[in-house]
Amino acid sequence: MLRITGGKVYDPANGIDGEVRELCVSDGKFVSAVESGRTIDATGMIVFPGGVDVHTHVAGGAINFARAMTPEDHRRTQAFIRSQTRRSGLGGMAPTTFATGYLYAGMGWTTVNEAAVPVLSARHTHEELGDIPIVDKSTLVLMANNEIVLDLLENGEYERAKNIVAWYIWAAKSYGVKAVNPGGVAAWKWGKDAKQLTSSIEGYSKLTPGDIILQLARICDDLGLPHPMHLHCNNLGAPGNISTTLDTLQHLEGHRAHIAHSQYHAYGGDDWDEMRSETAQLAEYFNTHPNITTDAGAVLFGDTVTITADGPWQHLLYKLTGRKWGNLDIENETGCGIVPYTYRPSNLVNAIQWSVGLELLLLIKNPWQVFLSTDHPNGGCFWRYPEIIQLLMCADFRKECLKKLPDKIKQRITLPEIVREYTLYEIATAMSAGPARALGLHQKGNLGVGCDADVVIYEHDDDVARMFGHPRYVIKGGEVVIEEGEIRATPDGREFIIKPHYDPGTEQFLQPLFEDCYTMAFENYPVEMERLENPDIRDCVPNL
Amino acid sequence: MGGKVTCTLGEVKNRGDFIIYWGGNPAECHPRHFTKYALMPKSKFLPNGRKDRTVVLVDIRPTKSAKAADIFLQVRPGKDFELITILRAMIKDQKISAEAVAETGVTLEQCTDLVARMKKAKFGCVFFGMGLSMTRGKHMNSAALLTLAAEMNAFTKFVAMPMRGHGNVTGADVVMRWQTGYPFGITFNRGYPRYNPGEFSTVDVLVRGDADAAFIIGADPGATMPQPAIDHLARIPTIVLDPHITHTSKLSRVHITTAVAGISAPGTAYRMDEIPLPLKPALKSPYPTDEEVVRRIKESIAKKPFWMPDGAQMIAAQV
Repeated sequence: MLRITGGKVYDPANGIDGEVRELCVSDGKFVSAVESGRTIDATGMIVFPGGVDVHTHVAGGAINFARAMTPEDHRRTQAFIRSQTRRSGLGGMAPTTFATGYLYAGMGWTTVNEAAVPVLSARHTHEELGDIPIVDKSTLVLMANNEIVLDLLENGEYERAKNIVAWYIWAAKSYGVKAVNPGGVAAWKWGKDAKQLTSSIEGYSKLTPGDIILQLARICDDLGLPHPMHLHCNNLGAPGNISTTLDTLQHLEGHRAHIAHSQYHAYGGDDWDEMRSETAQLAEYFNTHPNITTDAGAVLFGDTVTITADGPWQHLLYKLTGRKWGNLDIENETGCGIVPYTYRPSNLVNAIQWSVGLELLLLIKNPWQVFLSTDHPNGGCFWRYPEIIQLLMCADFRKECLKKLPDKIKQRITLPEIVREYTLYEIATAMSAGPARALGLHQKGNLGVGCDADVVIYEHDDDVARMFGHPRYVIKGGEVVIEEGEIRATPDGREFIIKPHYDPGTEQFLQPLFEDCYTMAFENYPVEMERLENPDIRDCVPNL
Repeated sequence: MGGKVTCTLGEVKNRGDFIIYWGGNPAECHPRHFTKYALMPKSKFLPNGRKDRTVVLVDIRPTKSAKAADIFLQVRPGKDFELITILRAMIKDQKISAEAVAETGVTLEQCTDLVARMKKAKFGCVFFGMGLSMTRGKHMNSAALLTLAAEMNAFTKFVAMPMRGHGNVTGADVVMRWQTGYPFGITFNRGYPRYNPGEFSTVDVLVRGDADAAFIIGADPGATMPQPAIDHLARIPTIVLDPHITHTSKLSRVHITTAVAGISAPGTAYRMDEIPLPLKPALKSPYPTDEEVVRRIKESIAKKPFWMPDGAQMIAAQV
């Protein structure tokens, strides 16, 4: 049992904005009162719900490929030394599993959503997640380039496709659906891409990316998944892609959706020389469509490694940079590309990207709709989130940073004109309450009675980045895991999964299709429950 | 140079219409590779199976695999890197010298034909074996071939994959990477992982006599390592976990017989394309699994006083 007294509480889920309140914890959850146990005196401190990352890449074949490709970063980065209770590990661009847990918890994040899992290697992803301590986890499976699903959609067999998507989610022991460059990754299997929403996809006679987007969004809604379709739009990263993004959003009209890393999808201009920010248009769409959420995918200057299922984009990035290139196409399901990258303030394109991420966070008015993310590690590493918080809360600091950018940038961005500064309440929404609600994890990002006791306590500091980077206490499930800058406990996290309903005949229908294109035995494909450490099955509420 | 452009084996089965084996003999070393993945399977995109695929073998001698190939190119021993570099130049229409080609043992006509076929392929895949990666040039040979495959993507879809074997070596590599960032050649002697093949690889540590104990699971270094390494294993307390009596068991202080993974012990094995496969035991074994033995040893060690001093939890940057 635990009591936290005297702190200024920011709990957007319950509309509490900086009031001094007492929090009581028993058995890992908030309760209305406790009789004994430790009391943390948080007088003068700031109390937030634990952070929730709606979109990150921390476990599985792709990040593990990136680790293999970046030993030069491992040997210079921060190192965690083993102790009797703590495993060793390395931080950096692609942190090792144990270090990932320590780093997230170390800055007050207690729930993370691994946003791209191929079902074929989901067993691997779960094994890695089991080695990420402290934080709770969920995963999304890649569906928008699954050829079995695409064939069904091409033939208009919606019900069958819905059942098969549900079957795949359960086979992977996953929590939801991710769509990456719908149709584009399937086309990449032939070295092509899909950039037009209404043109048919390579290898298909009439199926278009627009069809896949609409049908998958409908499937997610009809299955009643707690998190809507999580969409990485077509045409990522390309100048002028704002038209594709707006077109995509119009296809989604009437459905729920989460648009991943929208920073990469808000550019104007026809080529790299003409590239400019088009955040005003995109933000306006979000401001008038409350059914859609997004995460920023903000960019920070420095070294990182880009990882995405968007294989064709990574081939382009390899050609642009001439750096290492990893590619892994996965039979029937998806692809994956990896390219190390350095964002430089002197590079006009990178400077625009940096600005676009911040503009979206500042121009989308409702913090319940736009969440803090860097699309780790694509735009920057997750452990740099406090730097973004500082940029959001301090307009003067932004001005200082803007001075370092090329002069030519002025006509291409709107950031210099934006005076908005995030309040603590808005930060708490964008880093915790908002993403938790979008994920359908109602017991997270919420300090109300009955919710999971994940709390982060900061000591007030004028240096915002330092304050958010070094919380005084972090409490996960009622246990004090970080205290005075030290890791005190490393409990195992849980994994949230769902079991959406599917027709019992689905397996019989799927097995012959499966055996045609896979190289694994059908019986060996689904991940067994025993492979998960602390699974927690959440409910789906299907639209019947 | 760097990176790897690859795919899972199912992609080769479904789409691979142009297959190169380089420095490997799958007919004898990976006997199911032809039938399950690369040559024989029919698919939606290759309805006639083998007839829809072109197969090339590059090796220093005609092995049994040559019979399965449509084209055999005999490269002179130790000239793989040169031949790959010439091919990299030729795909980009760069100038090459006739003498350089002559040295490789392969003719210019053969190279020109190969390049034309590679570019005409819809989905090319090059598998490479230890004949490339473990002969003169070693990792530089592999890097050159991986780069050739990457560069081919300017013309058509092309991938590369190492022909790994030896049980679950890929699984060990995968797990080490997620726990430490590195695949092998790791030392924990400062309390956190550091990597340097050639310094911290098992064979180097043993040859230098740096290890004062050895714990060996699922490997038989006593049969494969150089004599100075074997001599050191015999000098120090060596513990072996293995279902069989091996050369290493004979020089060890302790041998613990364990159940055979996949036959009488469950677990996960990673295929050469890093896809995890569950192992479902068909038989029961009187012996414990490797996992159980390791867990019990770990529990016993945990009861002893912790030997590392209490110090910093983290260092912000390594030098």
